[in-house]
Amino acid sequence: MKHSSIKRFVSLFLIMTMLLMSLSGCGKESGEKETSKTDQDTAKQKEEKKEENKEPMKDYSAGIRGNTAPTEEQLDVVNNTLNDTYLGDVYDEVIPNDYSAYPWKEKVELEIWMPSNSILASVVPDMNDHPVFKKVEELIGIDLKFTSPPLGQEADQFSLMMASGELPDIIIEPERYPGGVEAGVNEGAYIDLTDRIEKYAPNYSAWRNSDEMRRKTTITDSGKITAFYGLAPYSEWMWFGMLIKQEALDKTGLGVPETIPEWHDFLAACKDAGYNEPLNYGSTYGQIFTGIINGAYNVWDWMFVDRDGKAAWGPAQPLAKEYLTTMRKWEEEDLLNSDWVTADFNQRMAEAISDDCAVMMDSPDTMWGYWMVDNKTDFAGALNPVLNKGDKSGTTYLNFKRTGSTAAITTQCENVEAAMAFLDFAFTKKGWELYNFGEYGSVHLVDDEGRPYFHADGLMYNDPEGQPLSNLIWKYRIHSFANIRDEHFSNPLITAEGSYSGDIRAYWTENMDASYAMPPITFTSEESSREAELGTQLSTLRGEYFTKIIKGELPLDAYDEFLSKANQMGLDEFVSLYQTALDRYNAR
Amino acid sequence: MLAASTTIQEGRKNRKMTHGNRRARIRKDLKKNWFAYLLAVPVLAWYILFCYGPMWGIMIAFKDFKPLLGFEKSAWVGFSHFVEFFRGPYFTRLVKNTVLLNLWGLTFGFTAPIFLALLLNEVREGRFKKSVQTITYMPHFISLVVVCGMIHIFTANGGILTLLVEFITGKDYDSLLGYSRFFRPIYTFSGIWQNIGWDSIIYLAAISSINPALYEAAEIDGAGRIGKMWHITLPQIRPTIVILFIFAVGGLMNSSHEKIIMLYNPMTYDTADVIASYVYRRGLREASYSFSTAVGLMSSVINFALLWVTNRFSKKLSETSIW
Repeated sequence: MKHSSIKRFVSLFLIMTMLLMSLSGCGKESGEKETSKTDQDTAKQKEEKKEENKEPMKDYSAGIRGNTAPTEEQLDVVNNTLNDTYLGDVYDEVIPNDYSAYPWKEKVELEIWMPSNSILASVVPDMNDHPVFKKVEELIGIDLKFTSPPLGQEADQFSLMMASGELPDIIIEPERYPGGVEAGVNEGAYIDLTDRIEKYAPNYSAWRNSDEMRRKTTITDSGKITAFYGLAPYSEWMWFGMLIKQEALDKTGLGVPETIPEWHDFLAACKDAGYNEPLNYGSTYGQIFTGIINGAYNVWDWMFVDRDGKAAWGPAQPLAKEYLTTMRKWEEEDLLNSDWVTADFNQRMAEAISDDCAVMMDSPDTMWGYWMVDNKTDFAGALNPVLNKGDKSGTTYLNFKRTGSTAAITTQCENVEAAMAFLDFAFTKKGWELYNFGEYGSVHLVDDEGRPYFHADGLMYNDPEGQPLSNLIWKYRIHSFANIRDEHFSNPLITAEGSYSGDIRAYWTENMDASYAMPPITFTSEESSREAELGTQLSTLRGEYFTKIIKGELPLDAYDEFLSKANQMGLDEFVSLYQTALDRYNAR
Repeated sequence: MLAASTTIQEGRKNRKMTHGNRRARIRKDLKKNWFAYLLAVPVLAWYILFCYGPMWGIMIAFKDFKPLLGFEKSAWVGFSHFVEFFRGPYFTRLVKNTVLLNLWGLTFGFTAPIFLALLLNEVREGRFKKSVQTITYMPHFISLVVVCGMIHIFTANGGILTLLVEFITGKDYDSLLGYSRFFRPIYTFSGIWQNIGWDSIIYLAAISSINPALYEAAEIDGAGRIGKMWHITLPQIRPTIVILFIFAVGGLMNSSHEKIIMLYNPMTYDTADVIASYVYRRGLREASYSFSTAVGLMSSVINFALLWVTNRFSKKLSETSIW
């Protein structure tokens, strides 16, 4: 009896412990505390270091620019000090370099919530181990502690974090807050930075104010500064469009088509030349890729700015029926891939490299990999088609010099000034070099102009694990953050020797009119939920009717029915939501 | 646990007992079976903490929930989220598609594992039976993304399923996923392929507990294989079937968006777009906690009503019920 009751106790005890352990797994680890003595010591050292910083920097430009074999001393200067004299002013607007805040005056650790993605997680499983952020910590004297939500659970984790009320110091992708960043500020999740931005983030302030487009896209309608936005020196090139296999041009003997009729003739000629499904027609509706052909008719995929500067909905434009007629004709003549409605990315890429396909609607960076690298298939880029010869091609793609990610400081941040100092560093010259190009020597060198570049012997092209470039852009550098993102020069997929995908993208960007693009407007909370409600209905309606009409399952006249249904749903209200927001944006 | 449930049954029998008397009995039972009660504590705690506790959160269906303001401080908006959903132009279609897709599942997906279990039961040879079981379980462990990728390949233009359908009907087809009339069969039968083995386990377990004497008796009475299956096996596992059926009916308004959004497209919206996928698309534009809670609450209420009705019917007709 006694024996069995002991047994009972033991098993019960075990069950209880297991339960408790599984429950306490959710709890927070208690923060560690350093002894104050060492704190004071480091603070003293930092003060001394700061004194050094105030002296004018020694000019290293002669030794480092153009140097392909840096010495130990040069490596030390670039990697371990804030000296930036070797970096050139390569853009119209000078990248600021106010380092007076670094190293930070006291010991502080910032907690940063930063979503990862499948590629980043595969090369850097823990952001705390990322070589670039480790270097940033050393240079600015602020400790960083990253937490990343498990892949695929970002949205849940974000709302849990908000609901729990336990916020980190900095949140990356703060626009996840329902209603946007400003709603988050109004409701007490993030702090309003307007009054502190000039003082505590001098570099970010200077950079955003150095260009009207950057200024306008980083301030709210009510004139508040609520977050640090990734801001590029330029509007990044557009990244998708018509790409034609060179051999198709050669076989048909035709030039790169410009107008819709020319395109038709070209595709028909390709078909005769043996390309059974010459045009790989993007994918299902709802993706921006399709704006390539419908743009010729001014029937843009979604909202755009019309010639009078007013907000307008593409599918309701006057020439929509003509556009649908054309596409239906192409579909009937089997000029499109037969499975464009259902094909997923892998199926499309398999079709792209088959002999049936002559033209892809995709990104030249992607096709460079699938066509040139894997299959030695040369290709050329074509501008978006137009209706009449001589018309200017248009696009609704423009990123308004705002790119990368966004960062906001939460209301629970204890050291707002330190948090701002950390984020501000990404907008200095040194930050531009480090975030975009990684470590000096092993990953990048600096050219004669003072612009960093990835050298052929560097890790970027000689990864010990043999990872592809598309992974390495996340491994040795920061691909997406709230920083000065220098995509055109720091993305090795573009700068790789012999690659012309960048040239195609530059050609598209320079020769297309992007004034149709809707700027990054913001909605109020009420507008935002109404926009979501109407937008979901309208996009369901648009997707269904357009696909079915082109596929021939509905007659062309079904378009009229589509239009009247859209009006019933509240198309006018939907457009006016955008118009109001656009007016506010223009008045910023 | 066993002791605890026995006491509950005893308690039911003695409903007419006086209040004080019952309390005394419970106290006595607590003393006697304290260990069984103690073992039940973690389970109860789990239910209270994770199932009943969060339930008060459904009130955000009637609020304009802002995560940071929390449950209490977010503003009340009454039924406006429900009204938005009911009045939406796609309401009828979404409900119809959800229910129909589940009815397909009920008709084919629910019966298939029973058939498999009955058939497996007839197989005497051990190794063959084991390998069939293993092969039919296996798809259950394949990730949904991979399963959908396979469906895409099989139903593509020239894919094996497309060829089969073309052979049977004598017509030419593009990718089968582009036709709304094929969506429900593809969805349902791929689901059967995925789950038939797994779902048949419970029936096999029920079958294995049938008293062999019953079969012997049936044999003496001259019953063949079919006869034994019909008169012994099926009636013996009927309670299991009925209970699982009641649960299945209680899920008629449920839908999971994962598989749907990987298989549907605008061409098949008219049969494939269900409540969950629509709410998902809306959530892509704006994280709308309140709206999706309202829709979820509505589905749960209807589900519960269906469950209750089925359970009542079953109680009357077959004397099997879940309560």
